[in-house]
Amino acid sequence: MLESVIINSRQHVGLQKVSALAGRFRSSIGPIKNYKFIQDEVSGESVLVCSCFRIIENLEPTCAVGQLVYETVRAHHKGYHSGSGCLLFLAGAWSRAALDCLQRGIAVTHIIKAMSEGMDICLDVCKKSSVLFKDIAVMHKRTATPQDLGLQLSEKAITDGSQEAANVHDKFLNMSGQRRVKLSRHFCEAKSEMLSSALLPDLPELPDVAVLAESLSHGCEDAMKLAVEAAQMLSKMNQQHISDPSFDISKVQTCVLPGLPEDCACVVEGCVFLLSDERARVAHRIKQQPLKVALVTGDLSQTYRHLGFKSLSGVGVCEHLDLSASSKEDEWLEKVVKRLLNLKVNLILTAGFASQKVIQRCCRHHILVVEKVNSSVLRIIAGSTGAVPVSYATQLAEPCVGNGINVEIWRDLSSFERKSSTAVKISTGRNGGLVTAVITSCIHGKLQALEDQFWACAYRLHHALKDRALLPGAGGTEVLCVHQLQKQAEYHRVEDSKTGSAANLYRGLVLQLMADGLIDYISAVMVSTGRFSAAEARTIVSKQLQDFHKDEIVAGKFLQLILESRREDAVFSAGKPDEALAVKIYDNLSVKQEAWRKALDLVFLVLQTDAEIITGTGQGTEENLMRL
Amino acid sequence: MKLNSLPLMSRLVKKSPSVCTDLPLSSSDVCNKLHLMKEFLRSSYGPTARLKQVHNNIGGSVVTSSTSCVLLQAIASSQPIISLIRSSILNHVSRFSDCGLFAAVFCLCLLEQAGQCGLRKNVMIKVNKHLLALCTGYLQQEDCGCKVKLDFCSSHSLITLARSVISSKPTCVLTEPESDHISRLAVQAFLLTVPCNIPDPVRLGRTVTITIEGHSVLKSAVFPGLLLSMPENLCFESLCSPLHVVLFSISLAGDLSEIGDGRIEMHQGVDADSQILDRLLELGKQVLKDGVKLFLCQRVIHPVLQHYLRCNGVIVIERLGVSLMEPLIQLTGAQPVATLHATIPSTVFGKVHNVCIRQFGSKTMLHLHPAGETAVCSMILCHRNETMLNELKLVCRTTEHVLRLTLREPFALFGGGCTETHLAAYVRHKSKNEVSESTSVLGCSQTEYVLAAEAFCRSLELVASSLEHDGGTSLIDLTHAHHWTLPSDVTEEHLEGVMAPCACGVVESCQNKTRSYLDTKYAEFSPAPLLTASPLQATVLDSFTAKVNALGVAVETANLVLDVRYVIQDVN
Repeated sequence: MLESVIINSRQHVGLQKVSALAGRFRSSIGPIKNYKFIQDEVSGESVLVCSCFRIIENLEPTCAVGQLVYETVRAHHKGYHSGSGCLLFLAGAWSRAALDCLQRGIAVTHIIKAMSEGMDICLDVCKKSSVLFKDIAVMHKRTATPQDLGLQLSEKAITDGSQEAANVHDKFLNMSGQRRVKLSRHFCEAKSEMLSSALLPDLPELPDVAVLAESLSHGCEDAMKLAVEAAQMLSKMNQQHISDPSFDISKVQTCVLPGLPEDCACVVEGCVFLLSDERARVAHRIKQQPLKVALVTGDLSQTYRHLGFKSLSGVGVCEHLDLSASSKEDEWLEKVVKRLLNLKVNLILTAGFASQKVIQRCCRHHILVVEKVNSSVLRIIAGSTGAVPVSYATQLAEPCVGNGINVEIWRDLSSFERKSSTAVKISTGRNGGLVTAVITSCIHGKLQALEDQFWACAYRLHHALKDRALLPGAGGTEVLCVHQLQKQAEYHRVEDSKTGSAANLYRGLVLQLMADGLIDYISAVMVSTGRFSAAEARTIVSKQLQDFHKDEIVAGKFLQLILESRREDAVFSAGKPDEALAVKIYDNLSVKQEAWRKALDLVFLVLQTDAEIITGTGQGTEENLMRL
Repeated sequence: MKLNSLPLMSRLVKKSPSVCTDLPLSSSDVCNKLHLMKEFLRSSYGPTARLKQVHNNIGGSVVTSSTSCVLLQAIASSQPIISLIRSSILNHVSRFSDCGLFAAVFCLCLLEQAGQCGLRKNVMIKVNKHLLALCTGYLQQEDCGCKVKLDFCSSHSLITLARSVISSKPTCVLTEPESDHISRLAVQAFLLTVPCNIPDPVRLGRTVTITIEGHSVLKSAVFPGLLLSMPENLCFESLCSPLHVVLFSISLAGDLSEIGDGRIEMHQGVDADSQILDRLLELGKQVLKDGVKLFLCQRVIHPVLQHYLRCNGVIVIERLGVSLMEPLIQLTGAQPVATLHATIPSTVFGKVHNVCIRQFGSKTMLHLHPAGETAVCSMILCHRNETMLNELKLVCRTTEHVLRLTLREPFALFGGGCTETHLAAYVRHKSKNEVSESTSVLGCSQTEYVLAAEAFCRSLELVASSLEHDGGTSLIDLTHAHHWTLPSDVTEEHLEGVMAPCACGVVESCQNKTRSYLDTKYAEFSPAPLLTASPLQATVLDSFTAKVNALGVAVETANLVLDVRYVIQDVN
C-alpha cells in the first residue's frame, strides 16, 4: 500500500519548508556567529554548535525536502568548508521569491528561465568585480606607504570589458580633504603606469599571505592566524618559490587537545599524538635522534586480516591437540619483534589498532608504537621518508623501512587530564612533510567548533590562492549584483511597455524578487555584526543603491567603509588616517559562485516537485493523502 | 480448512475463501485510483513536468525523479488492475527504455475515455485493435507525414534525437549549453561503440559510465577505452606498448571463499592462510615471468601479493566489480582466469596499447588505451548535485538505448506532441471515410464505431496536451495537424503577430484561420504531408521504435483491462 501527497501548487509546501528551515539560520551567517545548543529530547545529550553545517547535521531533518537541503549543504561543506550559511540563507530567500512569483500566477517554467537569467547576471558580476592578486598587492603597498606617493590615490586596475569606471573612493582620504577623483579608465591606466614605473620599481606580483588572510578571516582572526602559520610553515618546508603561492591543504592535519587553554593553539611541523605513560617513556628514550620508521596499514595483531578476506568459519582440526590461540599469537609476536629489531626500526605507525601485548613488548625493546594514525598521514610520511606502507607486519623488509624521522616530546599534559598523557611530535623535517594545527580549548564542547573554524579559514586561504582572485566582501559583491539585477529588471519593464507583451513583465518581477533576496542577505549579515539594527541596515543598503542609480560609480567597498566608520573613534582620534590600515574584507570567488549556484539548484528542484511517493506501509490517516 | 504445518500445531486455522469481484472497472474505487494514477503520471510527463520525491516511510534516502522506471517501480498497489498496468509498462521500459510515461498516460486515457463514452466493452476492444493497426500501418508507410528518416551522414539528426531525450527530464536542471554538450557526448559515445570493421557476428560495444559529483556538467567527457578507478599515489615508469594484461575473476584475497560455508577439516599444525599465500605468490612469480604489466582482478587481491607485484613494476588494480568484466574482455581480449591452482596459459593474456593516469577532481583513474580497434568507451558524467547527477545517468542510459534502436529502424517521429495530433487527425479522417467497411468487419453499428474512434483520437490528443503544465492551451493547425502550445498569458490578439514554430519545430507560424483549439471539435481533414523543401528542421524528435511499441503496449494493455471480467483475489 502506498500513499502519495498531491500539493496545491499555489501554496507549495516544499518551498515553504525550505524557507522555514533557512530562517533558523539568520544568526549563523556573517562574521559573528552565535553559538547554539542542540539538545536531543530523547537521550538528553546536547551539542554546542556554531557553523550552519553542524547545526543542520545535528538537526537531522527527516522530511524529504529537509533531506534534500541537508544533502546539498553536506556536499558543499565537503568541498569548500565555508559558505554553507550563505547557501542556506539564499536558498531560503530565493524560495520565498519563487513562492511570491507562484502566488502572482507566474508559470513555473517562466520562473526558472528568469531566475537562471538572474544567476547568469550575478555570476557575470562576480567575474567582473573580482580583484586580481596583483591589484591587491598594489593597493596594499600604496596604502601602506602613502607618504611616498605624491598623490593619495587608490586605484584599481580595470578588468577587461567592464563598463563602469572602477574607482575606489577611500573615505579616509575624503575626510582629510582630498578631492574625490573620478577617473575614466584610460586615465586611470596611464596614471598607474606612470606611478608604477617612477615610484614603485619592484611591485610585488603577489600580496603577502598574511594580508590576504586578514581580509578573509571574517571574524575568526585566531583561526586564520593558525591557517596562515600553517601555510607559511608548509611553504618553507617545501622550499616553495616566492612566486608560487599555492597552499597544499592535503598536507595539513588537525590535532585536538582538550584541557589546554585556547591560546595554546599553535601550528607544529609534523604530527602530534597523545601517548600513555609507558610509551611516553620510550619516546623520551628515542627522542631527538634520526630514527627508522615502519608503516603498517592494518592492525598490529596476529588476528588481523585485510579487508575482503573471509575468515574460515567452519574449520575443524583433525587431531585435537591443545594448540591454543595464545601460543600462535606469541609465535607471531616473536617473529614481528625479531624482524623489527633486525631492521633497527624504532618507530612503528599503524592505521589500525595494536594489541596491548604488542605495545608492551615493543616498549620493552624501546620501539614506539603509535596506533590509529590517519591513512593520509601515513601516505605523506611514506612519501617523505621513503617508507612503503604494508598491510601485515610480517611483510616488513629492508626496502619498506624509511628513515630520517624524528620524535620529540612536545608537551606534558599529565597535569591537565586524569589519565596522564604526553603529547609527542613526530616530524620528518624534510621536503614533503606535513604540518599539524593543534586546536585546544578548556571547554570540551567547543573543540569541534574551533576545529571547523580552522578548516574554514584554511580552505578560504587555499581557494583564494587557487583562484588568484578575490571578491569584494562585506556585502560589496552582493550590492553590485543587486544593482545589476535591478537594472536588468528595469530594462525588461521598459521593453514590455514598448512591445506590449506580458512576457517581459514577469522577467522584470522575478529579477526584482531575486535582488530582494540578496538585499535580505546583506541586511542579515549587517545585523549579525551587532552594529546595526534591521531597519538601519535596510536604509543603508537602499541609500547606496540609490547612489548607484544616480552616478554609476562602482564602489565595491562601501559597506566596509560604513563598518569602519562605526569602529571606535580611537581610530580617527589617532590623527594619522594613513596609518590606520583599512582592513579590506574579501570573499572567495569560487566558493561564493558555487554556493549561489547550489542554492539556486535546490530552489529549482523543490519548485518543480509537486508530490511525494511514500513507499512502505502507511497506516496513518492524514488529510491530503491519496492512496493507490 | 487448512492445517497449520507446524509440527507442534495446536490450532486449526481457517483459511479465508478467495474474493471474487466482477467487472472491476465499474467499481468507483478502482476508477478513482486509475484517475489518480493518470493525473500523477501526466504531471510527470515532458520537459516542463513536475518532479516527484520517492522515499520510504521509515526514513532512508530520498530519490527525486520524473522518469517512468523510478516512478512506476515505486508505485506498488494492492489493486490488481493497477499492478497489471504497471508491470506491462515496466516491461516496455525494460525493453525500450523510452516512452514509458507516454505508454502509461495513453493507456490510462483510453480507459477513462472508454468509461466515459459508455460503449460495450467488446466493441471498444475491437475498434481499438483496428485503429492501432491503422496507426501502425500508417507509421510504417514510406510517405508517413510524421516520420523523419535519419541521415547517418551527418550527426545533426542524431544529436537532435539525443537532446530531445536528455532535455525531457527536468530533474537534471541543465542549461541549454549543458544539454547541448551532453547530447554531443552521448552521440559521440554511441558512435564509438559501433565497430568500424565488420566482425562476424556484428556486436555493439559498451559505454561504461562513471559519475563524479561536485563539478560542472561541462566537464563531462567521453574517452575511447576504459577508465578504471585506482588507488592514489600509484606511479609507474614508462612502459612500452603493447602491455600484457591478466584478468582474474576469482578472489585472490587469500581465503577460501569459493568453497562456501562448508565444513573444513585440517590437520593440526597446518596454516591454511600461509599456504594459500604461498600459492598466490607463485602465481605472481609466474605472471612476472610471462611479462605481464597489468594485473587486474574482479575481487580482492591479497596485500602481500599486491606489494610483491608493485615492487616489480606491475600495475595492480583490484575490486573491479562484475559490471566491468565484460567491457574489459572486449577491450583487451583477455580471458578471465577462474582458478589459482593451475598454471596460467599464455593464451588468456590480453593486450592494451598504453595506459595513462587521469585526474577528475579527487578521483584518480587509469585510462586503458585499446590495442587495436575497439568498441568500448567510457563516459565521465559530472554534475553539481547527487540528485541531478543520478537522473542524468539514467537519462544518458536511455539515450544510448534510443540511439541503438535507430540502427534497427533509422527513423524518428516528430516530438512535442505533433505526432500524436497528426495521428489523431489521420485516424479521424480515415475512420470517417471507411465507416461502412469497418462496421461490417467489426460487427458493430456505425454510431458505435464513430464514438469509439472519437474516444481513441481524444486519448491521443489528451496525451499531447499533457505536455503543458503551466496552464497553457493546446492548438492544432488544420493543414498539417501539428501541435502548438499557447501560454496562459498570451492572448488571442497577440498570437497573430507571433511567428512561433510548432512544438517540434518543423511547421512555421500557425495562421489564425487555419487553427483550432485541441479540445474542440474541428472539421476532419486529411493531414497534408510537409513539403520536402521545408526550410525548418525538427528540433524535437522521438524514438520511432520505442514510440510505435509504446503505442502497441498501451492499446493492448487497455484492451486487456477492458476485457477483465472477474478478479479473484487470495486474501490470506
